[in-house]
Amino acid sequence: MDYLDRLENESIYIIREAYNKYEKLGMLWSAGKDSTTLIHLTRKAFLGRVPIPVIYIDTYFHFQEMYDFRDKCVKMWDLNLIISNNKDAVKKGITPKDKLACCTARKTEALKQTIEEYGFEALLLGIRRDEHGIRAKERFFSPRDRNFRWNYQDQPPELWEQYKTRKEEGQHLRVHPLLSWTEIDVWKYIQRENLPVNPMYFARNGKRYRSLGCEPCTQSVKGNAGTIDDVIKEIEESKVGERSGRAQDKEEAYAMQKLRALGYM
Amino acid sequence: MVVVLAVDALEYDKIEEFNCVNMKQTVYGKTDISEFKEPRTIVLWSSFMTGENKEKEVLAKGNRGMWNIRIPLSETFFSKFADPKVIDLPAYSYNLAQHEKERDLLKQFFKEDDQEKKKKIRSEYNQIAIQHHNKIKKEFLKSLKQDFDFILGYISVIDVIGHLNFGNKFLMQMLYDDLEKIVEQIKNIRDEPLLILSDHGMKAIGIFGEHSNYGYWSYNKGCDLENPKITEFYSFLTTI
Amino acid sequence: MEEQDLRFVIVGHVDHGKSTLIGRLLYDTGSLPEDKYQSIKEAVEALGREFKFAYLMDHLEEERSKEATIDTAQTFFKSKKRRYTIIDAPGHVEFVKNMITGASQAEAALLIVDVSQGVQEQTRRHAYILSMLGIEQVIVVLNKMDLVNYSQKKFVEVRTQVSDFLKSIGITPSLFIPISAVEGDFVAKKTDNLSWYDGLTILEGLDTFKKKVVPIGKPLRLPIQDIYDFDGEKIAVGQVVSGSIRKGDKIIILSDRKEVTIESLKEFGKNPIEAYAGKSIGFTISDSIQLRRGQIISHQKDLPNVTTSFKGHLFWMDDKPYEKGESITFKCATQETQCNLIIEKVFDSSTLEVMSKGEGKIENRQVANVTIKTSAPVVIENFNYIPELGRFVLVRKDCCAGGIITG
Ligand SMILES: Nc1nc2c(ncn2[C@@H]2O[C@H](COP(=O)(O)OP(=O)(O)O)[C@@H](O)[C@H]2O)c(=O)[nH]1
Ligand SMILES: [Zn+2]
Repeated sequence: MDYLDRLENESIYIIREAYNKYEKLGMLWSAGKDSTTLIHLTRKAFLGRVPIPVIYIDTYFHFQEMYDFRDKCVKMWDLNLIISNNKDAVKKGITPKDKLACCTARKTEALKQTIEEYGFEALLLGIRRDEHGIRAKERFFSPRDRNFRWNYQDQPPELWEQYKTRKEEGQHLRVHPLLSWTEIDVWKYIQRENLPVNPMYFARNGKRYRSLGCEPCTQSVKGNAGTIDDVIKEIEESKVGERSGRAQDKEEAYAMQKLRALGYM
Repeated sequence: MVVVLAVDALEYDKIEEFNCVNMKQTVYGKTDISEFKEPRTIVLWSSFMTGENKEKEVLAKGNRGMWNIRIPLSETFFSKFADPKVIDLPAYSYNLAQHEKERDLLKQFFKEDDQEKKKKIRSEYNQIAIQHHNKIKKEFLKSLKQDFDFILGYISVIDVIGHLNFGNKFLMQMLYDDLEKIVEQIKNIRDEPLLILSDHGMKAIGIFGEHSNYGYWSYNKGCDLENPKITEFYSFLTTI
Repeated sequence: MEEQDLRFVIVGHVDHGKSTLIGRLLYDTGSLPEDKYQSIKEAVEALGREFKFAYLMDHLEEERSKEATIDTAQTFFKSKKRRYTIIDAPGHVEFVKNMITGASQAEAALLIVDVSQGVQEQTRRHAYILSMLGIEQVIVVLNKMDLVNYSQKKFVEVRTQVSDFLKSIGITPSLFIPISAVEGDFVAKKTDNLSWYDGLTILEGLDTFKKKVVPIGKPLRLPIQDIYDFDGEKIAVGQVVSGSIRKGDKIIILSDRKEVTIESLKEFGKNPIEAYAGKSIGFTISDSIQLRRGQIISHQKDLPNVTTSFKGHLFWMDDKPYEKGESITFKCATQETQCNLIIEKVFDSSTLEVMSKGEGKIENRQVANVTIKTSAPVVIENFNYIPELGRFVLVRKDCCAGGIITG
């Protein structure tokens, strides 16, 4: 059993635990590489089926290619798709001009509404331990309160494969089957399993995307990686965080404007 | 002797977050600058030293022109002291050449598209800010050993570096640490009434920083100021 | 470069230098985001200050917890040999349960001791937990050598102290490495400050750790995790924890002791005839017996213990103590039942001082030898033989204790 097998089997075990414990189980899917890998693992766990609804949070600002890719996968895998969006935000005209407000309204609020509407008790998420920062405090099963708050310093212990599966009133659980994976592992697995990926991850005109999100807030990175092999090589050599492409330019434009207004420039 | 450590963009939240015990003196808190439309450096320091809201007058000079303002001693409360020393304060004794250099690099930074070149510019910008800071720090600490009856040292490094690096908290914490050291040194040199004051604070826009709309103040003796306006320090400092 | 990263924990008494060591490791291996690192380094030089490595950890942690979108560090650092993941190094707010959680996922540990202070309360507690969790690969790091003038004598003295203590709890560290995390001596590079020491650096020491291998040749144990009813076919699923299972095998379902035959093994997209330890597999049986979660599959020839009474060794980590007579949930692999504890000996997890014998209470951070009486029969193993069936947790609302089965 090689190491990708080991990761795969651990993830399948976790997905099955979640399915065993929760009737109202859903999965977040962004049509990006991680959550698409998660869908594939779910199909493995359930012998070719995806017996739980797949939630796509639509901010209406995603790249067209993400929508295309999403619809292709839905068809191919016969997914029970729930599209989650915050109609209020759209009505109120909240736009990426204020990045934080926009994300909160269009993503966080949208998901809150969907969780409430469908009564989800637990959600599978494709987050990985290496995505942010260093101290991987995230648990495989991690409770969140109604406002999605996470008390990361005082979490219940999680020993071996004994996960916290009981939830309190008003909580939902976030389940992270990919927690032990790294960005490179995901790419290697995608290659091995021959999974479909959004073409935006590959270079066009010397630029590519390392993580996908809303069009106004996602920046490409420089790179010539045209194949998965190239991508893996590029990541191995790179020192820049995966998310660095996002939002930076936006913030820069805003900061410049502010400095002007304050008379600095 | 009365000592003022005037720190541009010293942020209340950071003081708490980094638990800067030296800068949290006997009384400390936020100042109220809500009377101003925008928390502009020149506007705020002009109002501080004259005890009057100078927003209109300063804005009339335009974005560029306002940096050249020099308020005469007689209009400031410094004139109430016999032998005041005011180091590098904007709208009073500020080093304009230094400011020009910083402003120029800021412009270059935002104009540049090449990431590598951008990094170089940022690095140069940070370097000249720290060099200037070191110079001011030295002069300020030296003056404390002399016989002035009022000393104000103005520190710009937190603001200057903050604008391009506020999201780099590690770097900001090092600068706050440096201020902590300065306050400790002040106290070691002489035990005098010490006011630490900022014009406004700072909040993050990603890696960048913008002004927050309150300032910070801290005083090492008991006093009855509460959420003071920046103009209130005129009478406060002259009646100690 | 090895493909898989090695996961390890850094444990030790508060302020002995865990955060500083991590910061230093990231810095020296060039694993910090370049942008920030550059400005920090320049500021350090311009201000003439030392680099506060411990702060670095706090910031990285915080960025993570806020899920900030500004660029953050990689979790990993690399040596020439492989990538490393530091799991949940305990922060300044010390929660033993976080340390335990981290350690239960780790393959190896660095135990850090401030050489000017020697073994302290949490040094002992953390070491004890490592021993209880069966983490055999341990390197002891004697930090802050700069504070003792890099004295070899002091190093030897503290090494003896630590080594004696560890021996008493059954840990044999593979290495003792003197370092200064602040100065960077022997973290990633050898320096002249410790010229009398001709051993490995931390980074080289980490490279001596071995990846865990899944043991083969042990008897089959397969805890049933769930039963799926897809298109009228009943498929049991679970992860093989030891041994292997083949299509056509006669197997025993425990604890009922029923014998059935494996009709088919199920895996998506494949038609397996055999599954080894580590595999999450599905299977069908030829009989119409009701399978359920919590049953354990074995072969007739080497059956495990099926019992309602056995001995264990546990670490209590809940504010509310266990009191004699309380019925509490016992979980081991997918088995779940109620149990009572008969408390034999309670001791302090740091001093190892015996607090009581046969009394009625186990308090937070205490360790106890107990006899566990379950209300239904369970399948267990000695922890050292098949860990997956030799470790358990006790649960009220949350997990209150973790332990191992000793007999
Ligand atoms: N002199 C010296 N001080 C150290 C060394 N390593 C850590 N420290 C200091 O010890 C204090 C505690 O370190 P920290 O890493 O926060 O310890 P933790 O609580 O184990 O994470 C900090 O002030 C460090 O600067 C060292 O090698 N030499
Ligand atoms: Zn200012």
